[in-house]
Amino acid sequence: MDNAVGPILRSSDEVDQVVAAIYDDNPGTEIEVTDRGAYVRIHASDHLRVTAESLKRHLGPDFEIRSLEAMMSAFAGRINTTSDAVEWSLGPAKAPVG
Amino acid sequence: MALLKREEWQGIVRDVDWTLKYVDDEAVYPEWHSGTGKVPRDAWQKWEESYKVSYPDYVATQREKENSAYAVQSALKRSKAFETLDEGWKSATKMHFGGVALVEGMATLAELKMARFGLSPAWRNMSIFGALDEMRHTQITLLFGHEFVSKDPQYDWSHKAFHTNDWVTVSLRSLFDAMMTGANAVDMAIQLPLTFETGFTNLQFVALSADALEAGDINFANMISSIQTDEARHSQQGGPTLEILVEHDPVRAQWTVDKFFWLSARAFAALTGPSMDYYTPVEHRKQSYREFMEEWIIDQFMRTLSDYGLKKPWYWDEFMEGLDIWHHSLNMGLWFWRPTLWWKPVAGVDEASRQWLNEKYPNWETVYGDKWRVIAENINSGNMEATLPETLPWLCSMCHLPTCNANYGRDGKWRVRNYSLKHNGMTYHFCTKGCRQIWWEDRDNLNHTTVVERFLLGEIQPMDVPGVLGYMGLTPDVMGDDAHNYHWASSFSQSEPAGTAGGR
Repeated sequence: MDNAVGPILRSSDEVDQVVAAIYDDNPGTEIEVTDRGAYVRIHASDHLRVTAESLKRHLGPDFEIRSLEAMMSAFAGRINTTSDAVEWSLGPAKAPVG
Repeated sequence: MALLKREEWQGIVRDVDWTLKYVDDEAVYPEWHSGTGKVPRDAWQKWEESYKVSYPDYVATQREKENSAYAVQSALKRSKAFETLDEGWKSATKMHFGGVALVEGMATLAELKMARFGLSPAWRNMSIFGALDEMRHTQITLLFGHEFVSKDPQYDWSHKAFHTNDWVTVSLRSLFDAMMTGANAVDMAIQLPLTFETGFTNLQFVALSADALEAGDINFANMISSIQTDEARHSQQGGPTLEILVEHDPVRAQWTVDKFFWLSARAFAALTGPSMDYYTPVEHRKQSYREFMEEWIIDQFMRTLSDYGLKKPWYWDEFMEGLDIWHHSLNMGLWFWRPTLWWKPVAGVDEASRQWLNEKYPNWETVYGDKWRVIAENINSGNMEATLPETLPWLCSMCHLPTCNANYGRDGKWRVRNYSLKHNGMTYHFCTKGCRQIWWEDRDNLNHTTVVERFLLGEIQPMDVPGVLGYMGLTPDVMGDDAHNYHWASSFSQSEPAGTAGGR
């Protein structure tokens, strides 16, 4: 895959739900999931995102988007985090927030 | 009451800064600590981290991470998991505990330096979280290692190693003093969070966790991958710093990344390479070290560097050739000088392992097979003295690792070559052209002397192997011996040399 970006998650019970949330948030995008046992790569070309809303839908209403950090041991590309979504892409952030 | 979103207030809180009245900017952010160099001072106002975290979020998330890591450790304490681990794998963890625990402590100080001398309030704020992270990593690594001290005194070196002059420690100290202790904040952000943490630590903390889990060491896999979730965040101090440096001083940006990419690659070839290709039992290896390097460094990290506008380093061909050589040579060196280690080194060359090595590295048999065969024959005939060191290996004046890299020369032979240069009446010796070039560019730096140079200068007495072992702090109950009681050697008496298909 060219220009692969996206998270690398530690092995846990919640990986499948995060993958499902990412699929929901990136319709029509080709997503590659590589399972190496202790870690799982979830990548797409150039851009990938996951929203707090989808994460709550799959992991329960109490799940907070900040908790994604405890599952994500690395990522490919540049990251951009807000209260509503996490995005991975290449190149400088279009509109910095904060 | 609805809480404000972080984006609605964080900028105001994070960007609090002093308006200096009684001192000038240079007094507060002196060049030798902050290191702005050719970058205009106000250019740093653009510094913007992309991985944002607020203090309440930080504390809540770290609490979740700690609870999870210690819950696993607590559950496994009551199991027999440790006793079932292969001795070779245990050595990979001993190497990690001793080689990493107090480097995490150094990294706390490095983060604090950026928290004080970083050139924008956003950067300093992020470094505070980095310092708290590194304090956690020091503590959790020491605690996990300490659990096993009563079972095996080598684990005591989790804490002790960095307080000794063991040659492995001196090599790591040399690397990390240059990367962290002696660097200004700008260089440090490029060297530590960007080159080391965005690139190389993924190998030891994420990739190796795949092998750890396969080897049955759930505790270790859990610890290292938990640590790396912090690194993934605070390593993002590197990106914004690099972006500004590339804009105003691209030559410095390229050189700083190139240099620490090379030095990190040398260190990981010594520690992670053997752990993956020799210490992890062959049936539990997820991928080879070369394959993990291709996945994490050559593909992922090089794409990151290219994204920031950097080129491949000047030594790229030598680095790529080294992926088939460096860690194999170093593994042989570690094993041969085994009394100098605080772990039990693994030969890792029984019949199944040799087959695996030849599949992954087509030249392995040509370069290493005959040498291991001689060692095995000495073991099988009871001539153990011939397998033990009588003298010291020459240590590279740059990376402090043994000069032991074979390469294929114009004479059609694989030979270990020495790269030397003369400076101020002294001849210095290096393991590679890359190490020699970096040393030359930085020749006015204060460098650590290698253990061999200390020996020749008469600093180590008596001047023999027992004297050197004493200088390194090694005692008979700790010094390394073969992890598998030499059982692997018998496989050589039952087999002919493996085929050399694909070899030169």
